Amino acid sequence: MATFNFKNREIECKIVYYGPGRCGKTTNLEYIFKTYKKQITGEMVSIDTEGDRTLFFDFLPMGLGKIKGCDVKVQLYTVPGQVQYSSTRKLVLKEVDGLVFVADSLEVRREKNMLSLKDLHENLKSYGTSIFKVPLVMQYNKRDLEEEGIPLMPVEKMNNDLNRQLKAPYYSASAIKGKGVPQTITECLKLTLLNLQKQLKWAK
Amino acid sequence: MKGNYIARSVSDNGALMDPKDQIISLLKEADLYQKQGLLNEAKERYKKATDLIKQNTGIKNGKELIASIVKKVVDLNQKINDINAATSKPTVSGQKQDLIKKLFAGGGDKENYSNLLEGAIALAKFGQFDRALSEFERLLDIEPVRVAAAKNIARCHLEVEAFEEAARCFEKWVDDDRFTNAQLDKIRFFLEGRFRKSGFERELYQHEETVSDEDMEKLEMESESSDKPQADEGLPAVEGQEVDLEDMELPDEDEFLDINSVGILIQAGSRKGRMVELDVSFQTGNSINLIISSKEGELLTALEKGTQLNDMQFFSPIAILNGSGVVTGKTQIKSGPKEGDYSLDITILTT
Repeated sequence: MATFNFKNREIECKIVYYGPGRCGKTTNLEYIFKTYKKQITGEMVSIDTEGDRTLFFDFLPMGLGKIKGCDVKVQLYTVPGQVQYSSTRKLVLKEVDGLVFVADSLEVRREKNMLSLKDLHENLKSYGTSIFKVPLVMQYNKRDLEEEGIPLMPVEKMNNDLNRQLKAPYYSASAIKGKGVPQTITECLKLTLLNLQKQLKWAK
Repeated sequence: MKGNYIARSVSDNGALMDPKDQIISLLKEADLYQKQGLLNEAKERYKKATDLIKQNTGIKNGKELIASIVKKVVDLNQKINDINAATSKPTVSGQKQDLIKKLFAGGGDKENYSNLLEGAIALAKFGQFDRALSEFERLLDIEPVRVAAAKNIARCHLEVEAFEEAARCFEKWVDDDRFTNAQLDKIRFFLEGRFRKSGFERELYQHEETVSDEDMEKLEMESESSDKPQADEGLPAVEGQEVDLEDMELPDEDEFLDINSVGILIQAGSRKGRMVELDVSFQTGNSINLIISSKEGELLTALEKGTQLNDMQFFSPIAILNGSGVVTGKTQIKSGPKEGDYSLDITILTT
C-alpha cells in the first residue's frame, strides 16, 4: 500500500515487475535506469547470483515530481523469476500498488508464462487482494527475436493465453532495445496513480 | 536398409523440412536459448539435434558434430548443477542488508524499537540470519520487545533446523536476570510447540512454580498479544504492526487462521449499512478481542453483549473470509492507557 504524507504532500508507491525467470524484468529496469536519468533518484540495486539471475529483487527509486500538487515518488522492484524463490517473490510483492507482468514471447516459454501468472494470482490472493483489483499492465517481451528466426508466440495468442479474462492493457516489447518499455511503465504509472487517487483522494 | 540416408522431417509449422536445415535451425535455437539463460530449453534442443543427426547417417561430419554438441551439453549440465546447488538465501553485503531493512521493515526511517525489531525481522525473512541474530540480541535489552526478540532468535535457529541451538539459547535466558518467569514461560511454550511440530524431543527448563494446564491455555491466549510491543512510558506507541515472524509459516488448515482485523456491518444508527473495520487485539481459537474507543458511542451501542453479527469479514494475512459472530463480552477498561475504552469479545460462529 502506498504511503501518503499529508503534511508534506508526498506520495510513495510501489510497482513490481513480475514474470517467469529470464523473461526480461531486470532488463526493463536497466533500460529505465539508463534512459530516465532525470527521474531516477538513486542507484539501481540488484541482488543477483553469479548466473545473472535475480536472487532477491532489483530496486530502482524514481521521482516523478509534482503531480496535482503532490510530490510523487515511485519504487520499482523486480521479483526473482526462478520457481524456487517463491517465498522471496511473495515478500517483494507485499503492499504492491501496481504491476507489470513481463511475459516471454518465446514459444518454448509459453507454459512458464502461464505458471508465473498463476503464481502471481495466488500470491496476491494470500495477501487478501485480487489480481483483478491491482493496476496491471502486460508486456510481451523479446519480440526482437523474431528477426533471428526463433519461434515466438503470436501476440494475439499470448493475449488469449494470459489476458483473456484480465483484459489488462498490453504492449509488445523488446526490453533489450528499449522498445515498449516506456509505454509499459507509463501506462502502469497512470493506472496506479489513478487507482491511488480513488483510494486516497490525494489530488483533491 | 543399408547405406547412408537422409530422412525428411516435418517442421513445427507442418512443412517438410530438410534434416540439414532442421539441425541448423535446432542448433541456432539452442545457442540462442543458452545466451538467454534458458539452459534446459537449450539442452532439449541440442538433444533433438543429436537425435536427428543419428537418424540421418548421411549428414556430413555427423560424428564430429555430435561430439561438439555433447561438449556443449556437458557445459550446460555443469551450469544447471551450479544453479541448483546455489543457496537460495546467501549472505549479502552489509549495504544490501541495510537496504533490505529500509525497504521491508515497513516502519519508515524512525529509529524506534519497533522499527528496529521489524528491520531485524526483514533481515531474517531474507535469510540474513547472522545479522538478524545480532540485532535481535541487542533488542533483548528493551523490555517491550524482549519476548518478541527472543522468540525471533529461536525462530532464526529453527529456520535452519538448529533445534539444539534454539534450546541452548533458552537455557541461557533462564540464567539471564533480564527475563521474568512469565516471559520465560511464554518463550518455553512457544519453543515446545515448535519442537513438537518438528518431532524434536527436548526437555526445557521449567522454573519451580510450574504452570497448570489452565494457566497454559491462558498463556497461549496471551502470547498472541503480549509478543507485540506495547506502548510504554517515554517510548513510542506501536499500532497495527506485525512484530514477529508469524507469517513465515502458514497455519494448519484445520486451525483457526490468525485474524488481524474484522469488518463489522453496522445494523443500526446513522452508520447503518456501513462496514467498520476494527483491529483484533488478541485471539485465541475462535474468540477474538477488540478494543473500541469510548468515543465510538454509536458503534458501542450497536455492539451489546449477545448481539449476533452477520455479514462479518475476517482479515487474515492469507485470506479474507466472510462469516458471522456473536458478541460474548463487553467491559469497560478501568485503568491503563486505554482507560475508559471498551474491550469487546467476539466468538466467531462461521467463516
